Amino acid sequence: MIELIVLGLFIVVGYIVGSIAERRHFHSIRRREAELADILAFSERLPPASTVPRDITLVGGNVVISIDFFKSVSAALRNLFGGRVAALESLVERARREALLRMKEEARALGANMVVNVKLETASITKGARQQVSAVEVYAYGTAMIPHAH
Amino acid sequence: MNYENRQVPEGINVSRDHPLKEFFALLIGLLLILLVVIAGLSLIAERLVRFIPFETERRLAASVAERYLSTPSDEDALLVESYLRKLGAQLAAHQKLPEGISVTIHYQPGEVVNAFATLGGHVVIYGGLLRKMPSENALAMVLAHEIAHIKHRDPITATGRGLTVSVFLASIGGFSNSSALASLLNNMGLVTAMSFSREQERAADRDALQAVYAHYGHTHGAADLFDVLGSSGREPPAFLNTHPMSRDRKDAVRRFQAEKSTEGETVPIPAAVRAAIGSSSSSR
Repeated sequence: MIELIVLGLFIVVGYIVGSIAERRHFHSIRRREAELADILAFSERLPPASTVPRDITLVGGNVVISIDFFKSVSAALRNLFGGRVAALESLVERARREALLRMKEEARALGANMVVNVKLETASITKGARQQVSAVEVYAYGTAMIPHAH
Repeated sequence: MNYENRQVPEGINVSRDHPLKEFFALLIGLLLILLVVIAGLSLIAERLVRFIPFETERRLAASVAERYLSTPSDEDALLVESYLRKLGAQLAAHQKLPEGISVTIHYQPGEVVNAFATLGGHVVIYGGLLRKMPSENALAMVLAHEIAHIKHRDPITATGRGLTVSVFLASIGGFSNSSALASLLNNMGLVTAMSFSREQERAADRDALQAVYAHYGHTHGAADLFDVLGSSGREPPAFLNTHPMSRDRKDAVRRFQAEKSTEGETVPIPAAVRAAIGSSSSSR
């Protein structure tokens, strides 16, 4: 029965630490989205027709976020019954927005003001014989347009 | 055309519900389902076990019994075993065992404080427990309790139920992606199965009390057994225990005594047997 108690402990710790980390991450994401709002990012393949000839380069943002123990048990329970896995939805949302921000940060560092043809790729990192999801990875990439300095 | 990136609206991709709400709703739902299925399997096991003849049980146990429960070699152990068998036969006569069921009592010298009934009608009493018995009445309670298990066919029921429940749990756990959930399910199933075993123990206690009352004309000294059991070492909490708590078992005896209040003296264990228990402390 020690197993039950240890399991319960892990779930509680996972929940507390995980939800604190998630809230802080979302705060950070909103703050940086406001800071980087001037860099426009679109998934359209071609830049607007009126853009001035610029330097063009590929930029990308990569992030790997791990699942905490509470989320993993919650998702497994949901897997038994079916339906929206709300625990993993917030995880993927964080990862997606973070990846886009990192891509914009790289664009800013290069002096770009626009990123076109933005694409996102999501992968789940699994481990073990049961293929348990342990982390989610999102890669956001696009074409950055760097204006000539006037 | 106006290109702009607006502020990301919250709450569209992410659920506003608290994650704990979902977690507990699912967990409790699963627990309830487990409870119902295990209860169903246990009841079915109990019904179906009647169809397994006692002879089959005896054959199942035969090979194990030969290896571990051979007749004792030294005189003292033989003396104790024959005393136990005589007392057991007297109690069994009062308990009216069904046709074809026989009880074989074995004495195991040593320090272990335990007694159990297993397949094939074998009952084993350890030296450690015998040494702690304050009177023959308490010892008779132990013997009658184990004989009652044989009478109710509890060993084969528990075996059959344990098998079906663990196969069921393994199939759920096997489908899940999380080994944490699988072990959580396992433990929850075990805890539920233990509550059924407690009911069997209560039934055995009731039967034993009747037998002891019929044999001695009173039940004084029977409750002393639970004082000994409750004081030796740590008892797990009620829901994790295969037996009811010792104090609850004592209360059941008191209630029985209140209904059938009689006077009587407790009978001591014969001095020769006491000496034999004390000296034959070698473990085999």
